[in-house]
Amino acid sequence: NEMMDPRWRPTVNEREFIEQALQSDLRVDGRRPFDFRKLKIAFGREDGSAEVELGETRVMGYVTAQLVQPYKDRPNEGTLAIFTEFSPMADPAFEPGRPGEAAIELGRVIDRGLRESRAVDMESLCVVAGKHVWSVRVDLHVLDNEGNLIDAANIAALAALSTFRRPECTVGGDDGQQVTVHDSEVRDPLPLTIHHLPIAVTFAYFGDGNIMVIDPTYKEEAVMGGRMTATINSNGDVCAIQKAGGEGVMSSVIMQCLRIASVKAADITSKIKREACGH
Amino acid sequence: MLVFFWQYVPSVEDTVLGIVVDTKPDNFLVDIKGPNLAFLPVLSFEGGTRRNIPKFEIGTLIYARVVKANSIMNPELSCMDASGKAAEFGQLKSGYTFETSTGLARMLLSSPTCPLLEALGKKLSFEIAVGLNGRVWVNAPSPSNVIVVSSAIKESESYSRLQQKSMVEKLLAKLS
Repeated sequence: NEMMDPRWRPTVNEREFIEQALQSDLRVDGRRPFDFRKLKIAFGREDGSAEVELGETRVMGYVTAQLVQPYKDRPNEGTLAIFTEFSPMADPAFEPGRPGEAAIELGRVIDRGLRESRAVDMESLCVVAGKHVWSVRVDLHVLDNEGNLIDAANIAALAALSTFRRPECTVGGDDGQQVTVHDSEVRDPLPLTIHHLPIAVTFAYFGDGNIMVIDPTYKEEAVMGGRMTATINSNGDVCAIQKAGGEGVMSSVIMQCLRIASVKAADITSKIKREACGH
Repeated sequence: MLVFFWQYVPSVEDTVLGIVVDTKPDNFLVDIKGPNLAFLPVLSFEGGTRRNIPKFEIGTLIYARVVKANSIMNPELSCMDASGKAAEFGQLKSGYTFETSTGLARMLLSSPTCPLLEALGKKLSFEIAVGLNGRVWVNAPSPSNVIVVSSAIKESESYSRLQQKSMVEKLLAKLS
């Protein structure tokens, strides 16, 4: 019973040093407070599969779709759902099987960013109103947790959605409700209609909430006082905000974060579009 | 997380850097990155008596010596050298700590001084403690020195001895 508790905790030294260094705008990995880590986006051979590396954090996204009956109150719309899986290899704190609080929050923040902002067009996923619609599913696998899973997983979702292709269908038959799903050899599969890319930008707060950094590492997350994620697109539209715990933050600080997030969102949007086009 | 794979097998007389995870009446429980927690008896300090037991909060970083290690029991540590003196053992305050592979730790402790530490020491002032269990502590008056030294060490996991010196020179040139 003297086995190790696998959750990592910072030492007194790390906690004090990280905060002290931030007083001089220094971060342990050499970044400045509002620098993102190096972002790499790679695509798999199948449409709709992407792997994102944000520093040492790694997340994969897979998009799949199937024809289902629509919800009764939205007969003309397809559906979109986000599923998250945290591999125990990614972090000793992840328990296999049960999604922890972090896994659930991750899924909700990404889902909300996409859904509330209507980034993915749902009406174009309707094949036969009231009967057949496309149900799009995004699976996010966390492979390595080096901090800021939300931003990395969100990019993985967007990159995968950008390269996903669904089969083309035609509707015919006597009743006009017979659906033929065409094989991709016969008819080119179609991309989703994506109106904009909601980019998640996460801030970590330290000290009395007067020090903040963007894209926290694993250690910074363990030491931070609070966190806020702003989901924003390159038009500057705020799609969602999630403030998770910690002390209250002044509205002037929130506004500053949104301004910074807006600039970062534009950079990341260009990168996703560039990589997806090149694929 | 890479650190998950850098486990340490405790060996008697190894000097290690441990983190206090719990306090019991007779022992501090210390994480030394091994398969089991290590025990540091509360009296294993120079001049230690029941009345002057150190107050270590959870997360305290300790430099200690392995005095017992076998496959059956939890390893035991001491903060005294063989003659009962504190020497350099005990709590390490301030500074920054991070994990490395046990191989890199051995390289940092090798004699003569490895090219990495020699190149860093020529330009920067800092102090360092290295645990054979793959944990390093760096301290310096300026936080930026601490960060440069820590980054250089972490970076050198993948560099040979020959490459270290030029890697550090490049790094220091970038800063000035």
